[in-house]
Amino acid sequence: MASRTVAKDIITLRGSAAIVSEFFGYAANSILYNRGVYPEESFAKVKKYGLPMLLTQDEGVKSFITNLTAQLSEWLEAGKLQRVVMVIMSKATKAVLERWNFSIETDSDVVEKGVSREKSDREIMREIQAIMRQIASSITYLPCLDEPCVFDVLAYTDTDVPVPFTWIESDPKLIANPQMVKLHSFDTKKETQAI
Amino acid sequence: MDPETEFLSSKRQTGNEWELFKENVRPLKRGRNVDLLNHALKARTNDQLKKSLLENRRRLIEAIDEYQGDDPLQPWLDCIKWVQEAFPPGGDFSGLVLIYEQCVRAFWHSDHYKDDLRYLKVWLEYAEHCSDAEVIYCFLDANDIGKTHSAYYIAYALHMESKSKMKAANDILNLGISSNAQPIEKLRDAYKKFLARSMRRPNATEEELKEDDLPVRSFGTVLARGESQRQAIKTFELGRNKLKQDQVHRTPLSIYNDTNMDVTRGHHSKPNTGSNSWHTLGGRAERNKENNAMPAKWTSHKIPQRPVPRIVGAVASAQIEVFVDEECEEKPKVHDEKDRTSSLQLRELDGRNIKKETELLRENPLRNFPSNSLPR
Repeated sequence: MASRTVAKDIITLRGSAAIVSEFFGYAANSILYNRGVYPEESFAKVKKYGLPMLLTQDEGVKSFITNLTAQLSEWLEAGKLQRVVMVIMSKATKAVLERWNFSIETDSDVVEKGVSREKSDREIMREIQAIMRQIASSITYLPCLDEPCVFDVLAYTDTDVPVPFTWIESDPKLIANPQMVKLHSFDTKKETQAI
Repeated sequence: MDPETEFLSSKRQTGNEWELFKENVRPLKRGRNVDLLNHALKARTNDQLKKSLLENRRRLIEAIDEYQGDDPLQPWLDCIKWVQEAFPPGGDFSGLVLIYEQCVRAFWHSDHYKDDLRYLKVWLEYAEHCSDAEVIYCFLDANDIGKTHSAYYIAYALHMESKSKMKAANDILNLGISSNAQPIEKLRDAYKKFLARSMRRPNATEEELKEDDLPVRSFGTVLARGESQRQAIKTFELGRNKLKQDQVHRTPLSIYNDTNMDVTRGHHSKPNTGSNSWHTLGGRAERNKENNAMPAKWTSHKIPQRPVPRIVGAVASAQIEVFVDEECEEKPKVHDEKDRTSSLQLRELDGRNIKKETELLRENPLRNFPSNSLPR
């Protein structure tokens, strides 16, 4: 019995990668909704992380995000992904208006040796919840995006990673003189470790 | 390293006051500087910071007086921008409404600013804070202010739309397009969206409840028939749409008022400004009746008084320590008579009458204007 409960709580890197890439999918949807990149009516509500999350129903966007998260998952499992950035640009001028950075720290031990760490599902979920809430609250200080916008996703990987078929190498699309705000973070490994 | 990467890898944290107190922050269309926002939110509980905020405000107001250059609007804009950042809720105590009012009044007659977009924006922001902005739009129309800009037509039409005056909104947008207001694309776009919205609008009469309203929200739909057509139907103000709209509706709730009852009203019903009632002073007096009403005895409730020990020989002044803003502690400065049509009264403001003035202005935004400036 004891081993069964323990098994449920162990998050392996593979499990970890799945959590992170799934999180990214939901976060991306949340950003698209909250920043008004796509019309409200094109989103549907689902329950996730104990919150009402909105997912796009637009087939194009849906498949884009699905392919994206699959690729991210692959890179994450190999420990090659450093950062993911969601870029919001003006449709007309292609000027970059906002960048949403997701910085990733991979525990190299886990990649190499396959050691598993423990952290409860619930705890991770709480941390993710906090981030989702922050994204939604950011309207407090973000400017209104008055014009039609489009989005794109950039991935910062290790240099030895080949560029997959549906991706291209790109410039970083930075914003000049940005105002930068740090939000919460979550991680899937245990902070303290009993020895 | 680019600034972003550097920021990400640094240990620098951003304060999270903005998230903790988000209900107290009025979103601005242009966005807010997060550090200033966090600072301002901290100041609410920190006297030291509060003092420095007041000090800053005073300096900005002085800058307005002392400006010598040829763009006297600029120091006003700096002051307004700063007050918006420093007083995130932007409520009645920020003095924001008073500053808007003084600013627009200082330049309404000036040809130099008639077509200045910045000046128009101050007017539009002022309008957003008033309970019935229609008087402002009429004023702008009559005085030819801002009519080369799309923003004027868009804001005016949105306002009419919120009052369900679809035909008026339609006419306004068309007028803007035919006058070639700039940027014209934005205006055309707004018109398209307006048409789409009016298609979706049910043709039901305004008194009926809309079924797709969320349960508790039935603003303005439960009024008796025969009341004035000025019912604010919030058909598209559900949830997030509120923020997307260009206007933040400050209309007080329309509370059904049984004319036979003699109740103390918490909120007043919307002012009854007929669109051609500029000649009837009655309109304005009626609008302000709550402010002019004689205080009556409060008979509906009794609050037991706690026995207060009487101190023999107490001084006649208040026993409660009243917080007095720095601005009041000083002796009022004697300004030389400036050659302007309005005197700058901002410096004499203190916490007590900011709120009162703001409320008066909200109800009657043009109350300080000379009557010859009002539309005929």
